[in-house]
Amino acid sequence: MRFFPYILKQTGRNLRKTWGTQVMTLLTVSLSVLIFSFFFLIHTNILKAGARLGDELRLIVYLDDEVVPAMQEQLKKRITDFNEVENIVFVSRQEAFARLANNLDQDRDVLQDMSPTFLPPSIEIFPKKNLKTLTTIKRFSDYLITLPGAQKVQYGQEWVERFGYFNSLLRIVVLLSAGLLVISTVFMVSYTIRLTLFTRHEELELLRLLGATNTYIQGPLLLEGLLQGLMGASLGLLSLFLLFSWIKLRFSGPGFLNLFDFSFFPPATTCTILMTGIILCSLGSLISIRKFLRV
Amino acid sequence: MVELVKVSKVYPPDIMALQDISLSVKRGEMIFLTGMSGAGKTTLLKLICSLETSDKGLVEVAGHDLNRIKPVVLQRLRQKIGVAYQDFRLLPLQSVYQNIAMAMEVSYLPPATIRKRVESLLEQLGIADKRDKLAGKISRGEQQRVAIARAAANAPTLLLADEPTGNLDATITKLVVGLLESLNQAGTTMIIATHDQSIYRQTNHRVINLEHGRFTEPPMEP
Repeated sequence: MRFFPYILKQTGRNLRKTWGTQVMTLLTVSLSVLIFSFFFLIHTNILKAGARLGDELRLIVYLDDEVVPAMQEQLKKRITDFNEVENIVFVSRQEAFARLANNLDQDRDVLQDMSPTFLPPSIEIFPKKNLKTLTTIKRFSDYLITLPGAQKVQYGQEWVERFGYFNSLLRIVVLLSAGLLVISTVFMVSYTIRLTLFTRHEELELLRLLGATNTYIQGPLLLEGLLQGLMGASLGLLSLFLLFSWIKLRFSGPGFLNLFDFSFFPPATTCTILMTGIILCSLGSLISIRKFLRV
Repeated sequence: MVELVKVSKVYPPDIMALQDISLSVKRGEMIFLTGMSGAGKTTLLKLICSLETSDKGLVEVAGHDLNRIKPVVLQRLRQKIGVAYQDFRLLPLQSVYQNIAMAMEVSYLPPATIRKRVESLLEQLGIADKRDKLAGKISRGEQQRVAIARAAANAPTLLLADEPTGNLDATITKLVVGLLESLNQAGTTMIIATHDQSIYRQTNHRVINLEHGRFTEPPMEP
């Protein structure tokens, strides 16, 4: 196949002729990928942290009275009708007392004068461990309080709500940076290819007269966009990895980062970001070819 | 090889470049188009290489009606038509070698074949020493030879030359005519527009004179 060496040769010539703009485009693409992947990395880590924190999440519904087994089944059905849960545990007054005593361990003497039925019975609900649970837990809690005999519902309201708000905010930032990535890459690459077309206008016109095929003329321009995407996205991801490694090294030890296991993208996600960069840049290239190249 | 039937071409607003001309050029034939400046020679060549389209009549090259030809077929056809333009159409910032080689590169010929062919053409036309010079930095006469070399490079089946000796002295003209003759003998059909009598006076090839967009006498079959 003698086709590829010619396409590569033409592409190399294009890159050399407009190298200044090419470097600017490469930096813009890299920066866009870096910004997007930075926020996306934080978002994915927050999701993971949310899932982990969700492991310890449970809702406790304090009841007025003990629940008889028949009633337990009814309550279970009403709870699972609203939301999927991992487990539902009914805790009687005595069980609650025994747990407390157990928790107090050596200080259990303080319970000596207390009646073993002074604690209210309760239902412990362990929701499914996913982020959806965290974001819908308030509604779930509002529902649980309407159950017959429910007195109070308790869970880590404050942190769950804060976590939910933070996550929503982060999701918006990720979407905005994704928009920035799409616009900047497509626009910049399209602009660069347009510049190449103007720089090589005379040559392309001559090639047309010499019988150059569309592939011969368009191939190098498409390849130019593709290379911009590949190199720009690689550079952006590499920068992010270096930044990530530096942060991990700098803030290792006891601290806020140890709250969750801060990790880099898995290979599949890295490849997806890389492919997205390539596709977007090729698209930018294609737009200019379609718009400005007459073949 | 080339058929023109009642072809007319008008440039805006109302300049009649060609009027109802008919011409048949057989495969392997060499013809000379003569006439004063503005007679329509260049327009005729432009119609044959599909740089312009006719307003009336039929222009057929190698069996293809150029007014209806598909872009893909036209691309392939153009690879087999060598054109030496009057204004040369060279790329001034590329070397002489690159200017000639590009005619073959569009056909994806092997680099070794291209190198051999370009060097042979440069030798035949006496500009071997200009191989790596920028096309914009050589003389008009040398540029003209580069344009002819590019037209001849891809072993064309049809070669159109517009005033190929316009800027050349007698010695170099001989070299160019020699190259064109040898290509013709190898089977290339030639249409040469010129008003340099020295290159067609001694030949047996057809000479067709154009005046105000018409042939002064009907072109005879060879």
